[in-house]
Amino acid sequence: MSAILRVTDLRKSYSGIHALDGVSFDVEAGSITGLIGPNGSGKSTAIDCISGFQKLGGGKVVLGDADITGRPAHLIARAGLMRTFQTVRVYDRLSLADNLAIAAQQFDPATWIDEFLRTRRYRQAVEASEKRARQLVELIGLQRYYEAETGILSYGQKKLVALAAALMPHPKIVVLDEPVAGVNPSRIREIEVALQQLNQAGETFLIVEHNVQFITTLCHRVIVLEQGRKLTEGTAAEIHTDARVLEAYLGMTPEMAEAEMRGAA
Amino acid sequence: MTIDAVYILQLTLNGLALGLLYALIAVGLSLIFGVMEIINFAHGELLMLGAYAMTFALPVVGLLYWPALAAAILLVMLAGLLVYEILLARLRPDEFERSILITLGLSIILIHTVQYFFTATPRIVDTQYGFDGVEIGNIRITLTRLIGAAAALVAFAGLYSTLRFTQFGRAMRAIAQNREAALMVGIRPRVVARNAMVLAAGLCGLGGAALAPIQLVTPYMGQFLIFKAFALVTIGGLGNIPGAVVAAVVLGLLESVIGGFFASAWQEGSVFVVMIVALLLRPEGLFKRGGMRVG
Repeated sequence: MSAILRVTDLRKSYSGIHALDGVSFDVEAGSITGLIGPNGSGKSTAIDCISGFQKLGGGKVVLGDADITGRPAHLIARAGLMRTFQTVRVYDRLSLADNLAIAAQQFDPATWIDEFLRTRRYRQAVEASEKRARQLVELIGLQRYYEAETGILSYGQKKLVALAAALMPHPKIVVLDEPVAGVNPSRIREIEVALQQLNQAGETFLIVEHNVQFITTLCHRVIVLEQGRKLTEGTAAEIHTDARVLEAYLGMTPEMAEAEMRGAA
Repeated sequence: MTIDAVYILQLTLNGLALGLLYALIAVGLSLIFGVMEIINFAHGELLMLGAYAMTFALPVVGLLYWPALAAAILLVMLAGLLVYEILLARLRPDEFERSILITLGLSIILIHTVQYFFTATPRIVDTQYGFDGVEIGNIRITLTRLIGAAAALVAFAGLYSTLRFTQFGRAMRAIAQNREAALMVGIRPRVVARNAMVLAAGLCGLGGAALAPIQLVTPYMGQFLIFKAFALVTIGGLGNIPGAVVAAVVLGLLESVIGGFFASAWQEGSVFVVMIVALLLRPEGLFKRGGMRVG
């Protein structure tokens, strides 16, 4: 496997405080990688910097073969890195179908002239986009709402719409910012299944999340941040038994964690 | 004065024509506010430029209405493009105060430049249609008014289809509703803002060019209209395009009817009375605010 996203020595400080103090990690193509850490550890800052929604203080971000360091957000999206947000961002007054069409339209090769003349190139782009939209909507189980305004959906459903929108243009990697925060626990399992299916179909994910169980179920690799630095990284099992992680993140000893695991099982 | 049906119908038709022209300005303001979150105080001056373009284009093309109208619209679109590229493109999304100073300053500069070159003397614009009109029974409406209203209706139909059914329109609505989500999917904010500005300028150019044969053309004509347009956009709900159109048409009717029965001072004041009452009753505007609603 090769790294699709390479982050090297990421730095960012706010008025003297180092939110990110030299963080480096790779995300393998076709993997689900988790990024965890206690509040204020720099997870959100890291993905905001990577996706261009915050200015970098230093470091390098490479997506595939392209150096995307410091590019504005919309150009990073065009390069193939899509993201979702912690607080859900969908267009409430557009239909689900339009939400998805917008996500794809910047990537299709048709120009406005094609659109005006309804050329074959335009029709093909629209067809492809609609096909993809219907597949994704089926995967997230919202077929019934395809033509409905997204404003009527629940918070958890909107998170799924944001996920589908991010996947519309066949991105190289999708960064998910707390995909299950605020989602009804009974729905979390659905999101897990959807992500696993997508991953099996070849999609790469980088997930920032507080829900440790969600991360350990899904992720092939987990990166742990603490106070703007990488504490450690490894497989979910390794992370779960790492004394430093448990202390920093979960605030407990390995014995306590084991007891909890047994309790959960 | 006796109130008879023909007189009222006449006032209604005049009011409708006037209202549709107001709507052209208000819709442009609403578009720009929706996409860039700024209020373009120089919007009335774009309309004034359209009217002046008409006064100069008409003699050149031998008083033919349509080519002069097209030339005026294109010229104002070009002006809109320049205003965006030179001034507004430099604004960051959070610089609302600077946007006020820039557009207000631009408005003052445009007024005085036009006044310097063409003097403040009002100009009367003559077209091939002169004062020809259509008469139905005792009702008479001049052709220039009729054409202006029809052109505005066509422009709205075009705008509606653009916003509703094209990628460019969807991108504009996307940015207006949720800027970050739009950036996330690669929508280019500057391209969308530039297009919105050019589109709004085009509507303004049409408004100005269509008004030129109906009203006196002066460097200050935009000023009188822009404050009414602000009132309309506010009453209609900021960023709500159909809301602005409805408010504009109702206002045009109101003005026409009040002008027909009372002193003209009441005519001007009535708009703002309506705005204040409307905002007291519905602080968010009569229709839902924001997000560039088109349906």
